Amino acid sequence: MQTFVQLLIGGILQGGIYALGAFGLSIIFGVLRVLNVAHGDYLMLGGMLTYWLYTTWTLPPWIALLVVFPVFFAGGFLVERLLIRPIAGMPHHEFLVASILITLGLSLAIEDVTAFALVQPVKGIDYFLPPLRVGTIVVSSLRLLFLAIIVALTIGIHLFLRRSFWGKALRAVMEDREGAMLAGIDIGTASAVAFALGTALTATAGVFFVTLIPVDPHIGIPLTLKYLAIIVLGGVGSLPGALAGSVVLGLAESLVSFYVGAQWSLTVAFLVLIAILLLRPRGLLG
Amino acid sequence: MRRLPVLLGLALFAVFAGLPYVTTTYRVAFLLAVFIAAILAQSYDWVGGHMGYLNLGHASFFGIGAYTSGILLKAGWPIGLAFTAGVLLAVAFALLISYPFFRLRGAYFALATFGLVALLELLASNLSWLTGGSEGLTIATGYQLYGAYYAALILLALVVTATAWLARSRLGLALVSIREDEEVAGAFGVNAYAVKCLALMASAAVAGLAGGLYCWYLTYIIPATVFGLDVAIGPIVMAMLGGSGTVVGPLLGAFVVDVVREVLRLKTQYLALTVYGAILVLVGLFLPGGLAEPHRWRRLAVRLRRRAT
Repeated sequence: MQTFVQLLIGGILQGGIYALGAFGLSIIFGVLRVLNVAHGDYLMLGGMLTYWLYTTWTLPPWIALLVVFPVFFAGGFLVERLLIRPIAGMPHHEFLVASILITLGLSLAIEDVTAFALVQPVKGIDYFLPPLRVGTIVVSSLRLLFLAIIVALTIGIHLFLRRSFWGKALRAVMEDREGAMLAGIDIGTASAVAFALGTALTATAGVFFVTLIPVDPHIGIPLTLKYLAIIVLGGVGSLPGALAGSVVLGLAESLVSFYVGAQWSLTVAFLVLIAILLLRPRGLLG
Repeated sequence: MRRLPVLLGLALFAVFAGLPYVTTTYRVAFLLAVFIAAILAQSYDWVGGHMGYLNLGHASFFGIGAYTSGILLKAGWPIGLAFTAGVLLAVAFALLISYPFFRLRGAYFALATFGLVALLELLASNLSWLTGGSEGLTIATGYQLYGAYYAALILLALVVTATAWLARSRLGLALVSIREDEEVAGAFGVNAYAVKCLALMASAAVAGLAGGLYCWYLTYIIPATVFGLDVAIGPIVMAMLGGSGTVVGPLLGAFVVDVVREVLRLKTQYLALTVYGAILVLVGLFLPGGLAEPHRWRRLAVRLRRRAT
């Protein structure tokens, strides 16, 4: 029982780490209809930047948050302008293929350049807080703190989507593209905002990731697949859905790696992805 | 117009059949790799290009063929039986996934197939009692360069002939009509599910045979070399670069991509993948129609659309 509770807590905390990137991908897929294969690489790059700030200027991860978000917001904006905008007018099928080729090429290039630029391939930050003990159950207080920050960020995004003009515009485009255009929303700007925001959120997740787990250049594509599984599970463009999907995946991975074996934990994401797609071809809430 | 491509094809076939007598084993091995890539690109394109279902999991059929044939060859089965078993299992797998997967459209179909091939790669690594796991599967049939070269050449010729026939047949028209508008195709009497299923099974059979051939030639496979991202995406890149939905396109694409990658591998020590990635980006941005402009298909599409309205 005690192990089980421990596994549950571990899974929920892990799910919290997934949530930001999953929501980033959800916004990008919802607004632009781009299957962004390079998505996991933004997390990797965010982690690398955090590590670099930590080693060169001994900046703690909290400060890195304030640097990573704007840098990757600008980066995402540029990627959308340079690589996605030019293909936006293509017919549906060509757009799908072209977007996969472009983001895959981007992903390969990012991972290769990062691996080339690094002296040691694997990066992790030693940042330690004494663990929290409740009776016989041990909780990593660092992860708990991260979960609190992630929940705060999630509330922030929620308010942005509900209250601000561009937040409402993004939701309108996700719901009905033509309708949003008729209502006078500039799809081009909405796409750029969505892509920039999605990229920045995912890179922010990298800050937490690198503080808990070593990051190496090739974690990108497996992560992208996990994110895809999560948004399909939770429904495209749904913030609570992304959060719930992340927690479900985190829990499933935590339980499977303990009871079945660690090498099977990645299969969970793919099984979930395929099963949900087959049961609900448009996603759980789609 | 009709006779010229046939003559050209026959001449090319004769040239490639004669090449091993005059050139080095390095070049023969390189051409063999190009042939296998072209077979995969062309068979992918039946589903991905002609029919318009972006199958990111074409490598799953290749891998199933490779592992089935490899495991049976290791158990001492004769080559013919082992290859047949590989093809049958790949086709059976295609049949199994066709019903649930073909309910999905567009990006969702692509996503599910992407997950599928990743799942198979993990299964191949984890079921080590069957597949040898990540240490790989080794078979003791010896290095079969020339046998594999001619087998691949003949298979490629058959696949190209089939594609050329497809381009003129009712089945080919049905595929293109599904790509352009599945509902309209259905309304005009195309049995969409049967056609999609047939196309997927045919492409699985070819990929499964290519997988068996690949395993027999190399005598050593690991999960990443048959199910890896590179194997999964490579055929799509080749078909796109050359011209998806055409007969020459995937062949041209396979040749160009393999030559570029080989040159990169030999000339640059670092950042070869970066250059390859940049090429993918450029193809996506500027060459969605491919090097071989699919005029005929465009005209066909226009005609179909006119007929539909």
